[in-house]
Amino acid sequence: MKDYLQSKLRHLLLLQLFLSFAAGAWAQNIAVTGRVTDDKGEGLPGVTLLLKGTTNGTTTDPSGNYSLNLPSGAGTLVVSFIGYATQEVPVNNRSNINITLAGDAKALEEVVVVGYGTQRKRDITAAVSNISMEDIGEVPASNVTRLIQGQAPGVAVKQKNGTPGSQFEVRVRGISSLGAGSNPLYVIDGFPVGTSVGQNLNPNEIESITILKDAASTAIYGARGSNGVVLITTKSAKEGKVNLSFSADYGIQNIPDSRKVTVLNGPEFAQFKKEAFIDRYRYVNNGKEPALEEIPLGFRFPEQTKYSTNWYDAILNKNAPYADYNLTLSNGKGPVKSVLALGYFKEEGTIIETNYDRISARANLTGEVNKFITVGLNLNGTYSRQRLANTDGRSAVVGSTLIMDPREPIYDDQGNLRPYIVGQDGVFGFPNPVFMLKNINRKRNIADVLSNAYVDITLLKGLKFRTAANAKVTFNNYNEYVPSTIGLPVQQGASGAPPRIATAFEDMVQTYNLSADQLLTYQPELGAEHHLDFMLGYTAQKETARALSGSANTFPDDLVPYLGAGSIRSAGSSEAGWTLLAYLSRVNYSFKDRYLFSASMRREGSSRFGTENKYGNFPAVSVGWRLSEESFMPKYAWLSDLKLRASWGKTGNNDIGNYSHLAFMNASNYILGNAFAPGKVVSQFANSELRWEKSNQLDLGLDLSLLENKIVFTAEIYRKLTNDMLLPIAIPAVSGFTSSLANIGEVENKGVELGLNFNTRIGQVNFRTSPNITFNRNKILAIKGENDMLWFGGFYGGYNVQKVGRPIGMIYGYRKLGIFNTQAEIDAAPKQDGAIPGSMKFWDADGNGVISYDTKDMVEIGNPNPSFTWGWNFSADYKKFDLSVLFMGAQNYDVYRNIEASTMNIDGVFNVLDKVKDRWRSPENPGSNPNHKNSQGGTVDWKWSRESSGRYVYDASHIWVKNVTLGYALPRFKSYIPDTRIFLNASNLFLITNYPGNNPDASIRGGNELNNDDESYPVPRTFSLGARINF
Amino acid sequence: MKKLTAISIFLLSLMQFSCDDDFLVTTDPTRVGSELFYKDQKQVEQALNGVYGQLQGITNTAYIFQEFTSDNTTLDFNPVDRGGAAGWEAFEFSTVNSGNGEISNLWNNYYSALYNINFALEKLSGSTTIDDAAKAPLEGQLKFMRAYYYFNLVQYFGDVVLVTTTLSKPDAAFALLRSPQAEVEAQIEKDLKEAIAGLPDKYNAANAGRVTKGAALSLLGKFYLTQKKYAEAVTTLKQVLPLGYALNLNYADNFDPAKKNGVESIFEVQYQGGNDLGEQSNFMYVFAPRLSGGSITGFANVTPSGRNIPTRDLIAAYETGDVRKDISLKEGYTNAKGEWVPTPFVNKYRHAHTLSGRTDNNWPILRFADVLLMLAEALNEQSGPTEEAHGYLNQVRSRAKLPEVRGLDKNIFRQKVLQERRVELAFENHRWFDLKRTKTPAELAQFMNAYAAKEKANPTVDRGGVIYSTLDYVYEPHEHVFPIPAPQILINEKLSQNQGY
Repeated sequence: MKDYLQSKLRHLLLLQLFLSFAAGAWAQNIAVTGRVTDDKGEGLPGVTLLLKGTTNGTTTDPSGNYSLNLPSGAGTLVVSFIGYATQEVPVNNRSNINITLAGDAKALEEVVVVGYGTQRKRDITAAVSNISMEDIGEVPASNVTRLIQGQAPGVAVKQKNGTPGSQFEVRVRGISSLGAGSNPLYVIDGFPVGTSVGQNLNPNEIESITILKDAASTAIYGARGSNGVVLITTKSAKEGKVNLSFSADYGIQNIPDSRKVTVLNGPEFAQFKKEAFIDRYRYVNNGKEPALEEIPLGFRFPEQTKYSTNWYDAILNKNAPYADYNLTLSNGKGPVKSVLALGYFKEEGTIIETNYDRISARANLTGEVNKFITVGLNLNGTYSRQRLANTDGRSAVVGSTLIMDPREPIYDDQGNLRPYIVGQDGVFGFPNPVFMLKNINRKRNIADVLSNAYVDITLLKGLKFRTAANAKVTFNNYNEYVPSTIGLPVQQGASGAPPRIATAFEDMVQTYNLSADQLLTYQPELGAEHHLDFMLGYTAQKETARALSGSANTFPDDLVPYLGAGSIRSAGSSEAGWTLLAYLSRVNYSFKDRYLFSASMRREGSSRFGTENKYGNFPAVSVGWRLSEESFMPKYAWLSDLKLRASWGKTGNNDIGNYSHLAFMNASNYILGNAFAPGKVVSQFANSELRWEKSNQLDLGLDLSLLENKIVFTAEIYRKLTNDMLLPIAIPAVSGFTSSLANIGEVENKGVELGLNFNTRIGQVNFRTSPNITFNRNKILAIKGENDMLWFGGFYGGYNVQKVGRPIGMIYGYRKLGIFNTQAEIDAAPKQDGAIPGSMKFWDADGNGVISYDTKDMVEIGNPNPSFTWGWNFSADYKKFDLSVLFMGAQNYDVYRNIEASTMNIDGVFNVLDKVKDRWRSPENPGSNPNHKNSQGGTVDWKWSRESSGRYVYDASHIWVKNVTLGYALPRFKSYIPDTRIFLNASNLFLITNYPGNNPDASIRGGNELNNDDESYPVPRTFSLGARINF
Repeated sequence: MKKLTAISIFLLSLMQFSCDDDFLVTTDPTRVGSELFYKDQKQVEQALNGVYGQLQGITNTAYIFQEFTSDNTTLDFNPVDRGGAAGWEAFEFSTVNSGNGEISNLWNNYYSALYNINFALEKLSGSTTIDDAAKAPLEGQLKFMRAYYYFNLVQYFGDVVLVTTTLSKPDAAFALLRSPQAEVEAQIEKDLKEAIAGLPDKYNAANAGRVTKGAALSLLGKFYLTQKKYAEAVTTLKQVLPLGYALNLNYADNFDPAKKNGVESIFEVQYQGGNDLGEQSNFMYVFAPRLSGGSITGFANVTPSGRNIPTRDLIAAYETGDVRKDISLKEGYTNAKGEWVPTPFVNKYRHAHTLSGRTDNNWPILRFADVLLMLAEALNEQSGPTEEAHGYLNQVRSRAKLPEVRGLDKNIFRQKVLQERRVELAFENHRWFDLKRTKTPAELAQFMNAYAAKEKANPTVDRGGVIYSTLDYVYEPHEHVFPIPAPQILINEKLSQNQGY
């Protein structure tokens, strides 16, 4: 019996073995292959396919292909991949199974970078806008600030001028300070680099940008958070993927005719001069006409004007090229993940002889030393060079082209550039702008090294410690040589012609910025319902800037444009710096994914503040309620997520000078005994009480997702109160000083932000659109001290006034009522001393019957703050094509077009705008629309035409067709041909506006002297063609 | 695990990172803190030098308020650039209103200088390291400067704010209001008397340019004269006579940079040109006609400002044979094209210099000739035109190669002295104060209107067809003082304004 059983067993075993071999043989026989793609058709590498119930499985290759041997045609494949919904696919005897994975509806697993860490998107209770570079697409950008334009509600990005390589101005939730700066804090990979991101960060190295808007998210940055925080994260390698990509973008820039300012040409200008002469002659001689011989020969016969020069065109580069090349190698396999990136950007400016180029290299490495320790190192080196020109203001290169005499040629008879155009017939003389651009050498070179290093140690389960050290070293070198051949703009007869004394200037500023963070985070395991994490941290930062400068003048010739060759030389050096240290803590808690709570506290000390107020506390708290998870909420299929959130926090602003609370001695020297006697005087009052500018912000938000995230809607309403504003208050001069810094004043910013993200699929077309709109109102609530108004600006150049009860930066001037037609009208009106028929009529604000020739009768004539700003993105893709269009605009705001005080100066000393043909000339000939707000008074006398008045205020509401990109993914015939995408892009394509200037965002004054346009570097339109290749 | 503990301990120890509070204390390494200064005599002397340094800035624009406002000078009218109309030009056309930027700068500069004087005086009197013998001349110089500034201020504005101590907090400034002129004048007198007591008669060559006893005496004499205290004026001014001053034989030597601080000079504001120290003056460039380029200045690539142009009225006032006329002014110049341009200009501060825009000329504040004429005036008012009074007047006239005058009656003598002051001290910033001192506000307005009528009928400089505004050249009695700057009243509403503005 035993034997029988044993032999049976043996048989069974053998049979089993045989069967298993056979099965194995059969398994080896049924090969299943296929490709796993995402819903865009892109191959997904690293996807796991498993035969259900077994351990038989495989993963897809870099192209998404897989190959698996199954024992039978039955069974189910379980296909899973992080971020995608797991699918179960029955084999059904197929040998080729292609699978498309859909994005996980719970892709709110997505993690967003926030201050000092990351947070799951679903847990965020603060107002945070996350921008991923993929959403932005191919935008030709030399500076990272260009990428944020139009992308996030509440963030207004203005391009003040078109200088190649320059930063744009970023404002988060309005201007909240009158005294300290209004720029947000920029943080690169966790390193707060300051209120300027500089020109040296290559936008192609960026993976995502998060903008922290409310106090709950920015309070963790303490006294630098009140203007918002822009978190920039550079690229990191994707898990398991190796990728080499190369992109090349080539484009041209120019100024379209619709955005050029039109002035008179040669014959028209001669005609204008003739008319002006005749009008003046008639006025002085009581209506008598001049004889032809009495008209100066220079414009007696306008039709015979020999030359006609368009100076503005002469300085423009007809098609300025730019090129952007980037090579990125990203390796996500193995214990050390790395991203290596090289970039080269080169741009010719739209004004000739200006350019910008930059070369950058980056290595981002992260490595697992063992299970407990991870280290990371980001190292970036960039070098940029800029050739600059002086382009701001009416006497600079751009402004002067509008007012120079068009009857003068650019070149002389031999074909050489004329260095100086001497004024004729009373017109001002000017240096030839083309000559200036070619001969004045102004260069700026900036070399940057930015490095972040950290060590993450997992001390216990859930307890992590990170120590990080960051450093940024910048060398910024500027040099300038103005040769003796450059003249000055002067009135006729005065001497401005070359040769003049040549000057040279050079400076080098070295900035060292170092910071160290120690962060301890603890995330206890509390089961599925509770999610809790704590963070405790300590950070210290120090910045020092050392400057060395030299200047020289009186050179023997222009052959050696270096300081050593000048006969009179002087040099100087200086040093300045600041330090800060802070203790931070934060707790995040969520219960059942339904109730969310977050609180943070930062205690910060800064060297910039008075001894009595060195430290400040910055708490913040925010809560969220996921209504869609509540049991009482009916489970609608279309409702994916509904979350309400509220936050409150206190942040600060420390952006005043480094040593403002101290009083120093300034030099005030004399001569005694015929020798130099050095002396000192006191510079300002010391203020030991100088403290933070405080901002309290309350924010309410709503996040709504519908139809499995096809529609995502976000709304915010906020109120930010800034008090203890750091202001130079005017104090009575009898104190010895005219102003002193103190913490006074209060400003309120409140607003609403709405953003919508909609994506859908219509047939074979994927369609996405995302509009956003921001309404922000600011109001000055108090300016303590004895004055309620702060005036900035000038009598002839436009005033910006800060007044209690009104928004920041209101434009002030005389209110224009019309143009005086006759002497009778002048006599009937309040006394305007010096007014003659043709003068503008102004309103008597104080009602005393006299228009006084100072600011007493000046009132609000414009509001530079828009009613709302908006952006709207459309993108669609169809098979291999994709198209994306971005619109953006601002509505209902004013700009003081200061340049028109010169370009509409009809004294005859400058060239004038085309529309001068429609000016008032006499009661019988008042122009087609003399009652128009911006009509030009015609006046024989100079008075009452150039004073700050409403005549120069224009509504700059506009709509930009900002970006249009058309892309095409080249078909791949063979697997060795790399993934290539080519794209066409048009940037700044159309501007729809009534504003007469080139750029409705132009402003040459800084700070809160808003929207004063005196011409600056024009903003071009760009067309480009590029390709991105993934190997 | 051991390895892990070791590493974590090591890293936690890294947290002991500059927890020092000193980490947050930084100061500007390029400047000295004011609380650290004024510790010893050398530093106080530097502070005094600083006070003198501010005098240069104030003197650079003083002509606008002391000469330009009068009938001595006008401007080289620029028909195409009307940018200055609301500012400095208003002083010529008597259209100064409280919003005028130049008045505001004047006020601010004076009080800034007074702050530093007060600060230095406080530190001096509280100092234990400086001995009294060294303190006296330093205090004397500071008090003279204070008195000089307040004397100018009351003549400019009438009642002004009197500040003799420094404030520790800016808020306290709001309580400071205008004191009656008499109070300020009492302070001036006190300061000058104390200065006289402490100042030396002379300094060695290394200290040439400092305030001397003679300067304090002369200023006090002028002060008494302005207050119509003729007896005191005479006694005070007579104390200047034995101090070693004398008239230069050559009138031109008073202004020659090669002969600075000479025997006739009582107090001059010091400058130095020809180098890069930043201590140069440039009066020539401000006073030369706009289109003269290098014809007057000697450097072609410059644009002079055309301010302070001698009027026809003044040119006509010089008697024939007066050597001072040609030294003080010229009636025209030859431009680069060789044409004669009949625009007159101030010649007193025109001397050769090596670097463009940097002249070496000092500015005379007090000269011995001034003292002699003041004595003549005071004696006349006190006891009539005595021999002695005539003597002083004639000393000045003789130097100018003019015939002496004899036996004039009181009124004519008075006019003669005023006229002599006009031509002797032309363009030295005396005329406006002389007119204010010798005329009542109503008389002054009448006088200036008469001048205006002449100037309008026959302008010294062609206006290029630009007509006068109706308010131009209309003098009213209240305009004998300037308005308090509007920004100051905006800041402190309690500050009062002068009548009429």
